[in-house]
Amino acid sequence: MQSPVYYALVNPNLSILMNMCFIFQRITIPEIMKDEWFKKNYKPPVFYEKEDADLDDVQALFKDSEEYRVTEKKEEQQPTAMNAFELISMSRGLKLDNLFDVEQGFKRETRFTSKCPANEIISKIVKAAKPLGFDIHKKNYKMRLENVKAGRKGNLNVATEIFQVAPSLHMVEVRKAKGDTLEFHMFCKNLSSSLEDVVWKTEEDMQETK
Amino acid sequence: MLIPMLPLEKTIHALWRHNEIGDVQKRTYLRIQFPGYENPVALASETAFSVSEVEALFELYKSISGSVIDDGLINKEEFQLALFKNQKKENLFANRIFDLFDVKKKGFIDFGDFVRSLNVFHRNAPLEEKIDYSFKLYDLDGTGFIERHGVKQMLIALLCESQMKLADETVEIILDKTFMEADADQDGKIDRSEWQNFVSKYPSLLKIMTLPYLRDITTTFPSFVFNSEVDEIAT
Repeated sequence: MQSPVYYALVNPNLSILMNMCFIFQRITIPEIMKDEWFKKNYKPPVFYEKEDADLDDVQALFKDSEEYRVTEKKEEQQPTAMNAFELISMSRGLKLDNLFDVEQGFKRETRFTSKCPANEIISKIVKAAKPLGFDIHKKNYKMRLENVKAGRKGNLNVATEIFQVAPSLHMVEVRKAKGDTLEFHMFCKNLSSSLEDVVWKTEEDMQETK
Repeated sequence: MLIPMLPLEKTIHALWRHNEIGDVQKRTYLRIQFPGYENPVALASETAFSVSEVEALFELYKSISGSVIDDGLINKEEFQLALFKNQKKENLFANRIFDLFDVKKKGFIDFGDFVRSLNVFHRNAPLEEKIDYSFKLYDLDGTGFIERHGVKQMLIALLCESQMKLADETVEIILDKTFMEADADQDGKIDRSEWQNFVSKYPSLLKIMTLPYLRDITTTFPSFVFNSEVDEIAT
């Protein structure tokens, strides 16, 4: 195959690399990444979250000074009560995103309700997440679960929070804080099978499909 | 030139593109087909959307407004269909949103209403507007206050929708706790400034007022092939 004329104007290393892309045995992406030409001045990508930062930013929570104080007495506290408006805003009729008929792909957060006491929910989540290779950071009724192993977009980082809806009813929010959404989806599937006896209504139940 | 056998609108645009008809004729056509149609350039200048984004919204608007009756307007049924995807539902909240989008209170949403209403949900819309909108949303009777019985009604609707049954006393406890915090002067209703304070304490309440998908609208609903005004603007 004759090289096109313009190759003469291009860095010879690049032209060799390009030829390797065109011949029958195509070079693979990992091999390209090992090539000298490619590596020159290469900076690996940083994955930015597509979504805006969450208004209730759990990150800020873990950075605040309370964490450094002795927290012996904290365990007595109740989970945050969900007020009427927080519940109301969960309605499907208020999810105007659905107007856009977008293939929304995998969700970045999910929730379920439980009739178990909050502490029991926490210990069950911890019991389910640890064998999946997650590090747990707990603060009151919020948790951060971080996958020790890096995935497609860095280490999957999941935030969970328990809210009290009524004295014997809790809402658990499980949200992807960082990492690949598909991996988050798989994590949720694994989690839900381990939490079957804790969950009262899943999000699917709450969507009221008739 | 040969006029291809295309839908009428595409024919109009083809003629426009080839300078067989002018802007005035094109807009007249659009205004007839879509009552309340406004020039995307004008709408873009009044909102946080770019001209391409308004054009993309027009593509969406066309598909929603034509889904039941092809009159170029969105009625309540078409709105429900768009929101619940083939599961036409009576939903208290969807009805509230429809009523707010129906700015002129005519029982339907025209294109101008559509764009201006969605503008409030844009991430760059002022917080003040979002707070106002959410206040109006929850003020079911339009009294200028969020009333306790209204919140109860909405809460029950949500529980019903989510198939969560709670005892009436439990519902009352939730309402008590909410009003204790939100209703500063304890007069049984939440006024605009109490709402503002409450929402600053619980910013997640405004999450419903911002639509992240608006950011991607031009890729989801590309319109530049036939319709774009963008080249016509001198940049």
